[in-house]
Amino acid sequence: MKLNLTKEWLTKRAERDDKAEISAGVFSIDIFKSKQRTHQVASINAAADEDPRPAFGKLINLWRRKKGLRMDQLAEKANIDLAELIEIERNIHYTPEPRTVYQLARTLGLSNERMLQLSGNVIARDQTLGQEAVRFAARSESVEKLNKDEQRALEEFVKFLSEK
Amino acid sequence: MSERTQVHLKDRRTGTLVEAILIDGVTEEEVQAAELTWKPFLEKEIRRMEAAGVPKERLPQHRHWDWRQKYDAIEGYAAYQMFAIECESEMQGMMLVSTAGKVCRVESQKGKSLVYVHFLAAAPWNLASIVTEPRFSLVGSILLATAIQLSIQEEFSGRIGLHSLPQADGWYAHDCGMTDLGCDATAHNLRYFEMTAEQASEFLK
Repeated sequence: MKLNLTKEWLTKRAERDDKAEISAGVFSIDIFKSKQRTHQVASINAAADEDPRPAFGKLINLWRRKKGLRMDQLAEKANIDLAELIEIERNIHYTPEPRTVYQLARTLGLSNERMLQLSGNVIARDQTLGQEAVRFAARSESVEKLNKDEQRALEEFVKFLSEK
Repeated sequence: MSERTQVHLKDRRTGTLVEAILIDGVTEEEVQAAELTWKPFLEKEIRRMEAAGVPKERLPQHRHWDWRQKYDAIEGYAAYQMFAIECESEMQGMMLVSTAGKVCRVESQKGKSLVYVHFLAAAPWNLASIVTEPRFSLVGSILLATAIQLSIQEEFSGRIGLHSLPQADGWYAHDCGMTDLGCDATAHNLRYFEMTAEQASEFLK
């Protein structure tokens, strides 16, 4: 790589650069990372009986709606990126960052270990988690207000996660 | 294969130009070394900023980037190249570009090939938004000049494109003279900027 940057050019550019923010790239979510991790987790889960990740997004979605929070409010409350929260709720195969899972587990008052399993970051040894997760995901629909069945499904699943 | 070129950064502590190395083809060890120094520094500063009540939107927006993972993801793909600037034995900035798969959107050059800047960032201690006394400036300009030079080398006439993080929109629009094509719904609504051959030539003047 041949760069002919004169002293004059450097001096001129330095004036513009001194206080500049220069970052470029896809906001917050590391697309390369998420693609790679999604692929890895998908391979792992293909070998397992059930993929719990759809239930993770559903859990967050229902809990948020139950609390009457908008996505940006939950992101703020949990101190996570809004873009990642959107990805969690909308992309059933998305594997969130462990830090994000930790922040959400803390906000929901649930075990970080169980949430890491549910989010696909850790393979669950306990098969009932996968089964319960799939059952839960199947019972809940994305609507504005929680219906009674969703409310019940959420309560039962939170109870199940809390007991383990 | 890794290629090294001498460049200069401005040491903001002394106001003088100091020698630095532009690395074309960053090695795994170099990426790892950068992560090992950038991450703890960034995390510490973010904790400090959060404790000081700095609003979330003013925290560094690239704080979750993992350069090691990016390196792993592109390894073996000829169209991707990773550059870095080293000074005082530390990485002062990194950039990941590709020379295939993206085409121009600006009407006058629509459909033509360009160099797409996937990621560009300076070390956290060089950012005025994080520290009160940044160490080096010129990291962004030299990396951008590198992308332009690569574009010329690839016979793309200096055409480059990128999605800027909101905190950097002004720099790409006003200080680099790139064309702002507005928010891109396919890229988390980040603004897409493109540089024409003429703008590239102007930037290098």
